[in-house]
Amino acid sequence: MGNQITIKGASEMPMISISLGNMDWNKTGAWRAQRPFYEDKTPPCSAACPAGNDIVSFIRKITEGDFEGACNLIKEENPFPGICGRVCFHPCESKCNRGSFDEPISIHALERFVADFASRQNKMIEGNTRRVKEKIAIIGSGPAGMSCAYHLARFHYEVTVFESESSAGGILRSGIPSYRLLKDILDREISNIESFGVEIQTGIPFGENLKLEDLKDYQAIFIATGAHRSRALQITGERGKSVLSGLDFLRGIHLGKRVKLGERVAIIGGGNTAIDVARSVIRLGKEATLLYRRSKEEMPAFEEEITEALEEGVKIRYLVNPIHIHQKDGLKRLECLRMELGEKDESGRRKPVHIPNSNFFIEVENVIIAAGEEIEISFLPKGIEKREGIVLTQRDGSTGIQGIFAGGDLTSNQRTVAHAIGSGKKAALAIDCYLRGKDTEEAIRQILIGEGPSLSIFRHLHPEERPMNPHVVTFEELNMDYFEPLKRERESKRGVRERIKGFGEVTSTLTESIAIEEAERCFSCGTCNQCENCYVFCPDASILKAGEIFSRQVDYDFCKGCGICFSECPRGAISLKEEAR
Amino acid sequence: MKKVITGNQAVAYGVILSRVDVISAYPITPQTTIVEELSELIASGRLNTRFLKVESEHSAMAALIGASTGGVRCFTATSSHGLAYMHEMLHWASGARLPIVLVNVNRAIGPPWNIWSDQSDSLSQRDTGWIQLYCENNQEVLDTILQAYRIAESVKLPVMVVLDAFVLSHTSEAVEIPTMEEVDPFLPPYCPEYLIDLLEPKSFSVIATPEYFLEFRYKIQEAMEQVPEVAKKVDDDFRLRFGRGYGAIERHGKEEAEILLITSGTVTSTSRMVIQKLIERGISVAGIKIKRFRPFPSEEIYEEIKGAKKLAVIDRNLSAGVGGIFAQELRASLYSKEERPHIFGFISGLGGRDITPELIEEAVQYTREHPRPEEDILWLGLKK
Repeated sequence: MGNQITIKGASEMPMISISLGNMDWNKTGAWRAQRPFYEDKTPPCSAACPAGNDIVSFIRKITEGDFEGACNLIKEENPFPGICGRVCFHPCESKCNRGSFDEPISIHALERFVADFASRQNKMIEGNTRRVKEKIAIIGSGPAGMSCAYHLARFHYEVTVFESESSAGGILRSGIPSYRLLKDILDREISNIESFGVEIQTGIPFGENLKLEDLKDYQAIFIATGAHRSRALQITGERGKSVLSGLDFLRGIHLGKRVKLGERVAIIGGGNTAIDVARSVIRLGKEATLLYRRSKEEMPAFEEEITEALEEGVKIRYLVNPIHIHQKDGLKRLECLRMELGEKDESGRRKPVHIPNSNFFIEVENVIIAAGEEIEISFLPKGIEKREGIVLTQRDGSTGIQGIFAGGDLTSNQRTVAHAIGSGKKAALAIDCYLRGKDTEEAIRQILIGEGPSLSIFRHLHPEERPMNPHVVTFEELNMDYFEPLKRERESKRGVRERIKGFGEVTSTLTESIAIEEAERCFSCGTCNQCENCYVFCPDASILKAGEIFSRQVDYDFCKGCGICFSECPRGAISLKEEAR
Repeated sequence: MKKVITGNQAVAYGVILSRVDVISAYPITPQTTIVEELSELIASGRLNTRFLKVESEHSAMAALIGASTGGVRCFTATSSHGLAYMHEMLHWASGARLPIVLVNVNRAIGPPWNIWSDQSDSLSQRDTGWIQLYCENNQEVLDTILQAYRIAESVKLPVMVVLDAFVLSHTSEAVEIPTMEEVDPFLPPYCPEYLIDLLEPKSFSVIATPEYFLEFRYKIQEAMEQVPEVAKKVDDDFRLRFGRGYGAIERHGKEEAEILLITSGTVTSTSRMVIQKLIERGISVAGIKIKRFRPFPSEEIYEEIKGAKKLAVIDRNLSAGVGGIFAQELRASLYSKEERPHIFGFISGLGGRDITPELIEEAVQYTREHPRPEEDILWLGLKK
C-alpha cells in the first residue's frame, strides 16, 4: 500500500474525492467470486464437417486477406479443398448459427475460393519426403484412400497407393461429372498429395494383379476400394442390350468414350448418381426422364442438384417403379407400376408399395440404372467381416485381421466424399497408433471435434496449440447485439442454355472482394477473433494488451469478476467459472 | 455574420463554436430541435463531435459525467420533466466538479400536461450546485454558451444556460454569429485538472467519510464564491472581443428610482418597453434584469437598489407554500442589510401564459399605490 497522507483541512485537500497515488496497490481481484477466461469452443460448422475442417479459422484468414494461410489451414485436415468446395453437400451450412439469424455462410463457396486462389499463387504446403517409419499400402485412390495416404505421409510413413484404374482419384474421377468437378482440380490436389512423397501405382487391380500376399513388406494396409457396382433392379430385361449402369455410363463419359444413346433415356433411381447421369444425358443432347419409386421428399439426392437438374430440363417422375424392360429392335418399352407410400421402413422413409393393376408403359431408347451402389467383395481376404452390404470395422477402421484397416464407401452407408475423407483420416490415425503401440481409442478421444465423430489431425500433431472446449456453441449463446442482417453471397451460375452445351463447370469461383465480404459475415462462433469488445467494455481495464496487440489475457489482480466481458462477447469465446473458496 | 435564427439554433451555433467533443441528449419538447440540428450536422460529417444516443436524460447526464471525467468538453440540452429526471446526476456533475454545460429550455412541469414556458423546472434544481444563467434574447443565448464554458472550466462547476420555451426557443431573431477564428482565442481548449488515464489509474469520487465530506462541500461553495469575479472577467473579455456583454444583472430605466422592477428571462424585454412608457409619464421606475441566478448576485443587486423604496419582483414560477423563488431569494439576500426596501412578490405567466405589458403596468401600479404588500404572494392576471 502507498504511504498514508495526513490532511489537516480543506486547503490541503484535492478538489474532488480522488486517490492521490495510483491504485495499483488495491488488488480488487481479491473481490472476485467468478473468473472469466478465454476459452474457444467448438463451432457447429466444424462439428458437422465429416472431414473435420477448421472452418472458423480458415474463414478468419480470408477476412485478413491471407488466402494461402486459409488454404493451409484446411489442408491441415483435408487435402481436397478444391474438391470439397465443389462437391461436398456442406452439412456445415445447415448447422451454421447464422442460419438462425439471416442465412448461413456460403462455406463451400469460400472453401472453393480459397483452394482456387491459393493455387493461382502456385504455392503448396511443403511436402515432407523424409521417411523414417514403416511402409504402408493403401488400396484405392479415392477420397478415403488419398486422405489416409496424405495424413500418413505427414506422419512420415512411406506410403504406396494401389489403384486399379489408369489414373488416381477413384469415384472423384470416374463418378463425378466434370461440370461439377473439373479434372484439373482433381489432378492438382492429387499431385499435391504426391508431393508429400506418396507413391501412386495405377493400373493394379486388387485381387487380380495384386494379392494380399504381395504386400508382406508393408506393416499396415488400408483398404478403400469404394462401392462401384451398380445395384441390380432384379427385373426382367435389365441385362439386355443398351441397358447401362449409372457408374459405367459416367466412367465412359469420363474416359471420353463415345456413348451411344437414343433420343429418349430413362434413368432409374433417386440418388446423386441418378441425377449426375440424367444431367450428363442432357449434356449429350438427349431427353432424360428420371424414374423414382418414392416421392420428392424421400429423394436422397441433394436438393440443389435436383433443382439444377430440373432447370436443365431433366424430367422427374415420382412414385413409378419399372418392373419389366421389354425390348423390340432399338426401342424399349419400360413397363412400370404406379406406387403409393405406405408405412415407414427401417430407413425412416415411407415405403413405396405397388398400386395393383396400375401398369403402364414408357417408351425409351435407353435405360440407365442408378439405383444405388454395392461394394465388390470377391477380392476381400478371409477374416474380414461383412454385413448388410458393408465391411464391418471397429470405430478406428480396424478389421478382424491385424494390421488391415478399411474405410470409405466400403465400410459405410454414408457415402459422401466428406465422409470418405474423414474415414481415411481416422484410419491414418489408427494406423499410426497401431504401429506406435498407442491406445487408438484414447488418441481419438483427444482430438474429437465437439462430440465427434470428426477428428482434428492438427490437434494430433500439435496437442498444445489451439485448445478447444468440445462444447458446440448454440445460437442462443451468441450476442446478436453486435450483428446486423447481411445478404448471403453466392457463386454465380452460368445460364441453363449455356451450361447444357457441354461439361464445363456450372458455377464459378467467388471473386476476391465477394469472398472477403462473405467471410466477414461469419459469427466466428466460440472462437475469439480479437474484436476487442471485452477490452472496450471491461470496467476495470483488466483485459490486457501487449502494446497494441490484443493478448487474450485477463489481469486477475484487478478483474472483479463482473462478467460483462462474458455477456458482451458476441461469439461465446469467454467462459466464467466460480472461484474456489 | 448576422443570421435570423431561433433560440434553439442559437444554442446549436454556440455549441459548434465552442468545439464541444461529446454531446449526449434525449429529445423533449421544446428542446428537441437543438439536438436535432446538432445530430444532423454530426451525421453529415460537418461537425466533428461524438453524439451518444441514450434512453433517458438520466443516462444522458451520466454519459457526459463519464466523458467529462475523461477530460473532454461536453454538452446536453433538456427541458422540464427531462431536467427533473436528470436530478440525481446533476448533483453528481457538480460534486465531481465537471464543467459540463447544459441548456434548459424553460417549460412547466406537469400535471396538468403543459409544454409552455415557466421557470419551475430549472429553479427546482437550484440546490444542485450548478451555476444558472438566464437569457433574454437569442443573441444572449449564443453568447452565454460561449461564456458558460469558460466560466465552468475556470471554476470547475457545471453551468445551466436557461431560455424560455417558444418565446425564444422557436422564435427567430437576428443574431450576430461570430466566426470560429474569433471564438477560439476567447475559449481555449479545456485543460482538466484530473482525468481518467489508464497509465495513471486513480479512483474517482471515492467515499469521503464524515471527517472530510464537509470540506468537499466547502470547496464547492468556495468555487461558487469565485464565480462573480471570474464571470465578470469573462464578460469583460467578451465585450472587448465581440462588443457585447451582459453582467450578472443589468439595470435599465431611470438612474434613481423609487420602484425597481425585477425580472428574468424574456419578461425583461417587455418590461423595458413598459418602463420607458411609465418614465415618460413621469413615474420614478427602473428595471433590473437578473441573468445569473446561481450563485445569487446578492452584492451586485444590493449596489443597484440603494435608494429604492420598493422592489416589484415578477416570478414566472411558484414554490407552493412560499411564493416566487426570485422574490424569496431577494428577501433572504437583503435581510442582513441596513437598507431593506419592501419586496412585492408577483406571480405571473405560469405554464406559458403571456405576461403582457398591461400586467406589468398593473404590477408597477399596485406597488406605487401600496406602502407595503398586502400579501406575500401577489397574483397577476389570476382569474378568480
